[in-house]
Amino acid sequence: MKFWKWMQALALSLIVVMLAAACGNSGASGETGGGSAVTITLLNSKGEIQSQLEEAAKAFKGDNPDITLEIIPVPAGQSPFEKASALYASGNPATITMLDTGDVEKFKDRVLDLSGEKWMADAVDRSTALTTFDGKNYAFPLAIEGYGFIYNKAVVDQAVGGTFDPAAINTTAALEELFKKIEASGKAPLIVSPMDWSLGAHYLPLAYAGQSADPAAVAQFVKDLKAGKIELTSNSVYNGLLDTFDLMAKYNIDKASPLSGTYERGPEVLGKGEVGIWFQGNWAWPQISGFDTASGQYGFLPVPVSNNADDFGNTQISSAVSKRLVLDKEKNTAEQQTAAKKFLEWMVYSDKGQDFLVNKANIIPAFKNITLEAQDPLAKSITDYIAEGKTQDSMSTLPADHWAKIGASMQKYLAGEADRSVLTKEIQEYWKSVK
Amino acid sequence: MITEKGLWNRLRLRLLFTGPTLFAFLAVMIVPFLYGIYLTFTNWDGISTTSSFVGVQNYFSVFQDTVFWKSFLLTLKYVFITVVLINAVAFLLAYVLTSGLKGQSLFRAGFFIPNLVGGIVLGFVWQFIFSNVFVFLGKELSIPLFSGSWLADPDKAFWAMIIVTVWQYAGYMMVIYVAGLMNVPKDILEAASIDGANLTTKLRKMVLPLMVPSFIVCIFLSLQRGFMVYDLNISLTKGGPFKSTEMVSMHVYEKAFLSRDYGVGQAEAFVLFLLVAIITIAQVYFSKKLEVEA
Repeated sequence: MKFWKWMQALALSLIVVMLAAACGNSGASGETGGGSAVTITLLNSKGEIQSQLEEAAKAFKGDNPDITLEIIPVPAGQSPFEKASALYASGNPATITMLDTGDVEKFKDRVLDLSGEKWMADAVDRSTALTTFDGKNYAFPLAIEGYGFIYNKAVVDQAVGGTFDPAAINTTAALEELFKKIEASGKAPLIVSPMDWSLGAHYLPLAYAGQSADPAAVAQFVKDLKAGKIELTSNSVYNGLLDTFDLMAKYNIDKASPLSGTYERGPEVLGKGEVGIWFQGNWAWPQISGFDTASGQYGFLPVPVSNNADDFGNTQISSAVSKRLVLDKEKNTAEQQTAAKKFLEWMVYSDKGQDFLVNKANIIPAFKNITLEAQDPLAKSITDYIAEGKTQDSMSTLPADHWAKIGASMQKYLAGEADRSVLTKEIQEYWKSVK
Repeated sequence: MITEKGLWNRLRLRLLFTGPTLFAFLAVMIVPFLYGIYLTFTNWDGISTTSSFVGVQNYFSVFQDTVFWKSFLLTLKYVFITVVLINAVAFLLAYVLTSGLKGQSLFRAGFFIPNLVGGIVLGFVWQFIFSNVFVFLGKELSIPLFSGSWLADPDKAFWAMIIVTVWQYAGYMMVIYVAGLMNVPKDILEAASIDGANLTTKLRKMVLPLMVPSFIVCIFLSLQRGFMVYDLNISLTKGGPFKSTEMVSMHVYEKAFLSRDYGVGQAEAFVLFLLVAIITIAQVYFSKKLEVEA
């Protein structure tokens, strides 16, 4: 009897100890290692550069033997915001978190003010404007990305019978002319990939961004849209963009079943030269290169919104800083924060870091001091547009569910299940519902 | 022995055995559930360090969210069709596979296998089948039904989900029905045969009434799984084309994590919980009355 009671007491206390140990652990997890060795983590939401980042971490350790950088990927299908907020909720945030531009504001109370960093002086114009609140910049601009019509030079050269001049496509009519020529040459003019994010986050926002060359005016336009003061039915940029979209739908290789395509089909048909044009961004290069038959000759065309070549948007390519790095200040120690800052500087100023950004990860850096030339044709094309000043800021601070909701409406329009008035109504209704 | 001891002694003994499970249950089910209810009264967005108390405003939003109710109705339709089909198919399979067919254990294992594959993987496999294999076959053999991807058409995508669900769960329910059928006493069936009852009479008057407990369990399981469907929804159709197959769980998830309206999303989840609880409890309560003794 006595023995049995002892066993009970022992088992109970064991359970209590185990629980206490399990609960107590999370508080200490921020302080990894002691002394000078420090481990920092980076939450990577750019899945396509995971292995490149891991290599960069190794190279970084070579230069800074004390600092170990671990790369945590955001699982496919999860948004960076979801993963980052889950990590914060569990009290275990990464030292460096890669966020989309629009999400930075939500995290601003939890992340470091980076206004005093050395790279601030070398960042390209307006690259930190959207992450600056009350005069403090909270994020490191990692990558510029741009999108538009990607053309396969071999196909369009053959279609126009000579050397294709991308600058000649500056109106909707000129674009249709090109589509017709490609069709006449026996190829399909273009493929419209029907993913909601492509249509909702990239295509339609051109209608907002194209309103004015002045970012403040665009911001005001979005504000008015939210307030229900904008009548899109009579908006010329919006209608012009949809006119172009109608053309795209008309010459689409998947016209018979426009919604059945997947992202993977796009790079395949463009790379193999089955179509001349694909609406997508420079992030698609790794996939296109897998099918490349045009010996790496690709480039971007802007999406025209009218038949007047001088209108804003007809010769400008949409681009913006799309990924930002923020540094946690809540759970990471001062040493970890310093180490993370060192990593940011290493990317911008060391040869290895620059090599990682430009050559390995195919990133278009947002820093003026980096003069390495992009290796991939799409990044090069975007860089050329930026150098000529022919850019339009992509909309990167739209509401978080904009792409999904508007994407669904756009799919309906693409499939012919809704006409333009229904689409317009849905877009306006959506904006009214935004809080 | 237990009754002789005082309250503390009894409690201690119980805690020893149920304590760990109870703790786990409280920590991962009850506490989050209650905390979730608390969140429905706030306007937290999932990350901000502050949130304010907004009373029952989120519940008003739930009732005004027409998309939520639309996807709830769609889910009802989906649940109704899948429950009927899953149980009909499962019962038929079980009936055939207990009739002494050659190699029936092999067939049982075969039909059960889809259930061992997770919903996400299953969704991707079927996505490939619907949008590549069927389309290829449709084009080669010129079958108009398969000429375009089923997942690109709102109605067909809905039926694609039903087909995959039935395929996945029929094997599982079949196992329960097989167990039920094997427990039907042989002596009364034999007596009925001697009295001259034919196969359908035996099935209708004896087997089915004695199988009621199996039906209750199977219908309960398929109801509950149908209402909570999420993994298949996200991997097979992603709610598309254009949100036409977005089931209610997916809508709730997107409300909370995509639209970052945590309070409203949580409130919708709670409303959904109440509705599903009412439906399943009613089902169990009323069908219990159908149970008979042999």
